[in-house]
Amino acid sequence: MTLPLGIDFEFRKQIMDVHIGSDKIKYCYQCNRCTDNCPVASVANPFYHEVTNWFDPRLIVLGTLLGYKDIVMALAGSKSALIPWGCTVCDTCDAVCPQAIEVTEIIGLAKNITSGAGLAPDNIVAQAKTVFDTAKAIPSQPAIERRREQMGLPAVAAPNVNEVQTLLKNIGADKKL
Amino acid sequence: MTEYKMFEGCVIGNRIPFIEASSRKVLDKIGVQTSQAPFSCCPDPTGMKCFDNTAWLAMGAQNLCLAESEDKPIISLCNGCANTLRGVQYQLKHDSNKKEAINKELAKIGKEYKGSIDVRHFVDVLKENLSAIKSAVTKPMSNLKVACHPGCHYMRPVEWMESDDPLRPVNLKEIAAATGANVVDYDELALCCGNAVAGPFPDHGDAILKKKLDSVKKAGADVIVVNCPACFQRFDTSQRDLSKKFDGEYNIPVLYITELIALAMGISSEDIGIKNHRVRRGTAIENL
Ligand code: SF4
Ligand code: SF4
Repeated sequence: MTLPLGIDFEFRKQIMDVHIGSDKIKYCYQCNRCTDNCPVASVANPFYHEVTNWFDPRLIVLGTLLGYKDIVMALAGSKSALIPWGCTVCDTCDAVCPQAIEVTEIIGLAKNITSGAGLAPDNIVAQAKTVFDTAKAIPSQPAIERRREQMGLPAVAAPNVNEVQTLLKNIGADKKL
Repeated sequence: MTEYKMFEGCVIGNRIPFIEASSRKVLDKIGVQTSQAPFSCCPDPTGMKCFDNTAWLAMGAQNLCLAESEDKPIISLCNGCANTLRGVQYQLKHDSNKKEAINKELAKIGKEYKGSIDVRHFVDVLKENLSAIKSAVTKPMSNLKVACHPGCHYMRPVEWMESDDPLRPVNLKEIAAATGANVVDYDELALCCGNAVAGPFPDHGDAILKKKLDSVKKAGADVIVVNCPACFQRFDTSQRDLSKKFDGEYNIPVLYITELIALAMGISSEDIGIKNHRVRRGTAIENL
């Protein structure tokens, strides 16, 4: 794979700032335990051979640590790229990392950056939009409300949609939709 | 007696409420009290958090404020909700900059997050009441061989959840065993169901699900027991397509742990809507 390996210090700083106990990431010694235990890596490599289907948390950590944004965002110029969106957020990497690095948080930030650029997968954007419109990921529907009643369940208390929209607008999350 | 604020979550509350029916019946039987609150979406740790972490923190904190205003702990019926609410608490506790920023936003809607209440995953509450569960069992589930799948977000990240071993979880197995069911071990106990990757990348999701189900089959289990609505739906709704895709036979029924307990307590399968399960016919749960 040929990549334009430019170091992006701003990106590196962003990662360092977001990470709780931010200097921990420096202690990654590339042992590969994260990748060895990652369910997505186990089916993406070498199960799928094409470079576009490659997913490897160890390399993502290396890329962020060194500020090689292009490694982490290798495919992020395209919509719904496997890196970083292939991460299924199972947090297994965090559990096995001998250096207690929050790998999932790092990948999460990479996702946040690409969603800001309008490149998040459609299902992620659709869910965020539903949450913005209704304050629920799955809005209440008359058929389910009836079923709840038949089963003797209390009605789901209606959320304050106004409050949620105000919060999201002030944060600027609505602009990513 | 503690009264919890019930956080049923979007999936259980507004899509598969029969899970809530068994959960409420079991909580009633063991004397756990709950009440309602106008919670919004938690929001999803695999969705909104990946979309925008600040929005995730703010919405999570807004929900926590609702419980704080009544000074009552939250009980969550869902891995995702429990993970978000506990994760938000963790991040705001350990990062004062984040807490300050979020409280600035909350102030604009007249709220302040303090961090004064606890968020409990319902499995932890069940585990605490194991003897009450055991003594309410009237119909031991000894005919069932169950494989337990606690799901990622019940026990990981371990710093947030503080519930169980992150890779060798035991709590769900102990609770399932209390119903008299035979709990079988299988190699892929800690493996993800692949729900979050399956949305944008179905091939990757299916390959993971296949690995999981092959391991469950190899162990000879005839039911998968879960404690997360996302995992429940993934297992219950994907097996037919998986059978076609891989030319195999995947037809293993899924029970929510509260369904298993309710049945063992002698509650009828009709009362808890077992008929709503997709994988049922010709399986071990057909005539329960
Ligand atoms: S497990 Fe931790 S230390 Fe090892 S390569 Fe992955 S991030 Fe680095
Ligand atoms: S959280 Fe993401 S990167 Fe880490 S093991 Fe799970 S799928 Fe892999």
